[in-house]
Amino acid sequence: MARQLDCRRLACPAPVLQTKQMVEKDELSEINVIVDNQAAKENVSRFLRSRGFEVSVEQKEGDFHITGKRGTEASAPEPVASLQKEPEKKKILVMIATDRMGFGDDELGKKLLVNFIKTLREMGDELWRLVLVNNGVKLTVAGSEVLDVLKDYEKEGLAILVCGTCLGHFNLLDRKEVGETTNMLDIVTAMQLADEVINV
Amino acid sequence: MKLPADPNLIVGLDRADDAGVYKISDDLALIQTVDFFTPIVDDPYSFGQIAAANALSDVYAMGGVPKTAMNLVAFPVKDLDLSILRKIIEGGLDKMREADVVLVGGHTIEDAELKYGLSVTGFVHPDRVLTKRNLKPGDRLILTKPLGTGIITTAIKGGLAAKQIIDKVTLCMAELNRKAAEIMTAYPVHACTDITGFGFLGHLAEMVVGSGFGARIRVSRVPVFPETPEFAAMGLVPAGAYRNRDFRQSMVDFAPSVDSVLKDVLFDPQTSGGLLICVAPEKAEELLKDLKEKGIAGAAMVGEVLAGPVERIVVE
Repeated sequence: MARQLDCRRLACPAPVLQTKQMVEKDELSEINVIVDNQAAKENVSRFLRSRGFEVSVEQKEGDFHITGKRGTEASAPEPVASLQKEPEKKKILVMIATDRMGFGDDELGKKLLVNFIKTLREMGDELWRLVLVNNGVKLTVAGSEVLDVLKDYEKEGLAILVCGTCLGHFNLLDRKEVGETTNMLDIVTAMQLADEVINV
Repeated sequence: MKLPADPNLIVGLDRADDAGVYKISDDLALIQTVDFFTPIVDDPYSFGQIAAANALSDVYAMGGVPKTAMNLVAFPVKDLDLSILRKIIEGGLDKMREADVVLVGGHTIEDAELKYGLSVTGFVHPDRVLTKRNLKPGDRLILTKPLGTGIITTAIKGGLAAKQIIDKVTLCMAELNRKAAEIMTAYPVHACTDITGFGFLGHLAEMVVGSGFGARIRVSRVPVFPETPEFAAMGLVPAGAYRNRDFRQSMVDFAPSVDSVLKDVLFDPQTSGGLLICVAPEKAEELLKDLKEKGIAGAAMVGEVLAGPVERIVVE
């Protein structure tokens, strides 16, 4: 037989404390708690889950009826980190250290890089960071053929990191039009967090 | 509501900021703020310290220097001994002395519920007012105190926090934001606020709204009292945290890897929280180092301002 607990008209943390007291005193395997606000609903549900209960909530006439059930053997409390983690999508970092792709013909190399940056979109959600260093920072200033593409990427939420030391070296600090100025620590941290690093 | 207009009002009610600022002359502006609340710790002297530090903080967050204060007291004379009130006010005075602020008066009323706080007046140069506006893409965000005071004080109310935790959190809430505010004046700080009732993400959202930019927070770098996630997981979350979340979560994109308990910590209402400083990227590391070297050990670089997506906060 489930025990009943009416915690209506009680402010947090009282509903959790009363639930805790009742659950611990009698090592209950089933309990019904009635609360009348959203915060108490979330907190009591959370508490019961932390003590190994399966929780269901029903809304009746503005009140929340919370039912918790667990095996008769008081199961071990779930660890705090039991909070559902969804599988993470892959994080790809692309580092561009040049304004042209490959060696040989420079004109061809520039065209290839433009095409490469435009085509990066095909990576979809997995494209996580674009890091521009050395000659790569020149892609962020007026006159760059990919400036608009980079601006679009940024608007869509892609983080574009532009090396501040490099901008300073080329005297371009005030002319950068896209991306955020960054430092080596951020670049190294980003590389460490990434699942895959592509160097161009 | 129609508000009276005045050309000398630099920061008024038309935009949510930490305090009002009124220009007196070309090199002087007045900062005014008021804050009071019910006890959050049992010890009256500590409560007085915390309430005063919390009220003074709004002046620091505006880039100013507090000068004078008045006590605001609501006290249940019939139920509580006056010695308690004395201890509260002594705690407040202790923080005013530390802040070089003079108490110029106050007002007490009888009330069923005890409340204490201050009305504070401070000074600032009109050109050096720091508001929640003026973010620039690339700016770094530095937070100077750990999060979790709302959740931990809920655990204290429930009698579930150990004395050691109570002492640690009390000390942190009683700490003035003075030192952090003084250090930041030497750096290219573009905006600043203090973290209080709306929680970390709530106050960051206020900065981001209308800025034309977005922000990214790296949750692993956000300082949090280590006991907080455990208390939050057992349901000791103040109702205000859920209200803050419901109000602002539509602006926030959480990466799937962000633990749901940590989301509540990021919305946890803080009492006398730290400053959230928005500083130019090239000086950010230096400012952080300076803060840490001068005793603000909990300070951390928690994120940055992004050019886009506009008016969104990415938490990863």
